[in-house]
Amino acid sequence: MTAARTEDDLKTLMLLSLDGDEGAYRRLLHAARPLLVAYYGRRMSGAAQADVEDLVQDTLLSLHARRHTYDRTRPFTAWFFSIARYKLIDHHRGRGGRKAAETQLHDKIEDDFSAESLTARLDLDRLLDALPPAQREMIRQVRLEGRSVAETASSRGQSESAVKVSIHRGLKALAARIRGEA
Amino acid sequence: MRKTDDIIESLVGDLKPVARHALSRRFLVAILSSLAVSLVLMLTLAGLRVDMAVALTLPVFWIKAAYNFLIAAIALFALYRIARPDGDTGPVFREIAVVVALMGVAAVFQLALSPEAVYRRLILGHSALHCPFLIFAFALPVLVAAFLWMRAAAPADLRQAGFMAGLAAGAAGAFVYSWFCTENGMPFVLIWYSLGILATGLLGLLLGPRLLRW
Repeated sequence: MTAARTEDDLKTLMLLSLDGDEGAYRRLLHAARPLLVAYYGRRMSGAAQADVEDLVQDTLLSLHARRHTYDRTRPFTAWFFSIARYKLIDHHRGRGGRKAAETQLHDKIEDDFSAESLTARLDLDRLLDALPPAQREMIRQVRLEGRSVAETASSRGQSESAVKVSIHRGLKALAARIRGEA
Repeated sequence: MRKTDDIIESLVGDLKPVARHALSRRFLVAILSSLAVSLVLMLTLAGLRVDMAVALTLPVFWIKAAYNFLIAAIALFALYRIARPDGDTGPVFREIAVVVALMGVAAVFQLALSPEAVYRRLILGHSALHCPFLIFAFALPVLVAAFLWMRAAAPADLRQAGFMAGLAAGAAGAFVYSWFCTENGMPFVLIWYSLGILATGLLGLLLGPRLLRW
C-alpha cells in the first residue's frame, strides 16, 4: 500500500470517507499527517517547532469536525490546506495578537497558496521521494529553499564540488523520471 | 507521535457518513426558519401596513421589497460560499453596489418627478428615526440563525464571514420590515433602509472574530 500523495488519490479517499469508509479515512488521515508536518514545519521558526505536532493534531480534529464543509466537486487539497492555513493564522493570533496575524495572513502565508501551487508541491515531493535521502535534501536546500552551495556543503560537512555533483546527478535522474512518466 | 496515531484511530472510530447536501440543507433550514420567526414577530408586534390593499398596486412598494430581497439574496449566496474554508465571496460587493446604484437612480427619478414640497416626506418620511432600529430588530433572528449555522461550518475569514452574515440578516430584516413600513419614498429606502442593513452588517463584523472561531 503506497501512501496517497496526489490530489486525485486524496480526493478519492475523501469521497469514500464521506460515505463512511473507515479504511479510506484511516489512509486519508495518515496521508494528511506528513503533509501537515511539512506545511507547518516550513512556516514555524525554530523555537516554535515544538508546536508543529499540536497544530497537526488540531488540524486533523478540525478536518474531522468540519468535513461536511468539503464540497465534493472541488479539489480536496485546496480545502485541506485552507484549514491548515486557518489553523496557522489562528495559532499566531493566539500568541502574537491580531496585528501579527493580519500581516501573516497577507504576506507570508499567501505566497505559495493556491490549489495549483499546492498540487505542484505535492507532485514535486513525490518525485523527490524517489531520490536517495542525502541527494533529495541537497536539492531541496539549494534549489527550493535558495540556500547557497557553500552553506549547504558546510552544514553537511562535504566539499562544495561534491554537493554540486550530487545535485546535478539528482536533477538528471529526476528529468529522466519525468520523461519516463510522461 | 504516538498520540497523533491515537487521535487518528479515534477519529476513524467516530466516522459517520456525511449526507451529500448536509451543509446546504442546514443553511436553508436556518435561514428559512429564522425568516419565519422574523415574519411572525412583524405580524404580531407591528402588523402589515394599514394601507396594504392600496400598497400592493404601487410600484414603489414592490421596488422597496425587491431592493431588500436582492441584497439579502446576494449576501446569502456569498455567506454560503464563505462558510467553507476554501470559499470566496465572489463579486458580492460589486453586485450589491449595482443594486444600491439602481435604487439611487429610482430615488433621483422620483425626486425629479415630484414637487419640491414633498421632498421632505420622500427623504425623511415620518419614521426615519426608528426605521433603522426596527430593521435591526427584525434582522436579529436571522443574524442569530446565521451565526449558529456558521459556527458549525468553517469560515476562514471571520470578520468577513461576520460582516456577510450581518448584511444578509439586515437585508432579510429590511425585507420583512418593508411589509409593515408605510413609507413610499425611494430616497427614504435608499438612506434609512441601507443604514439599518449596514448597522446589522457592522454588528456582524464585530461579532465574527469573537463568536465564529473554530
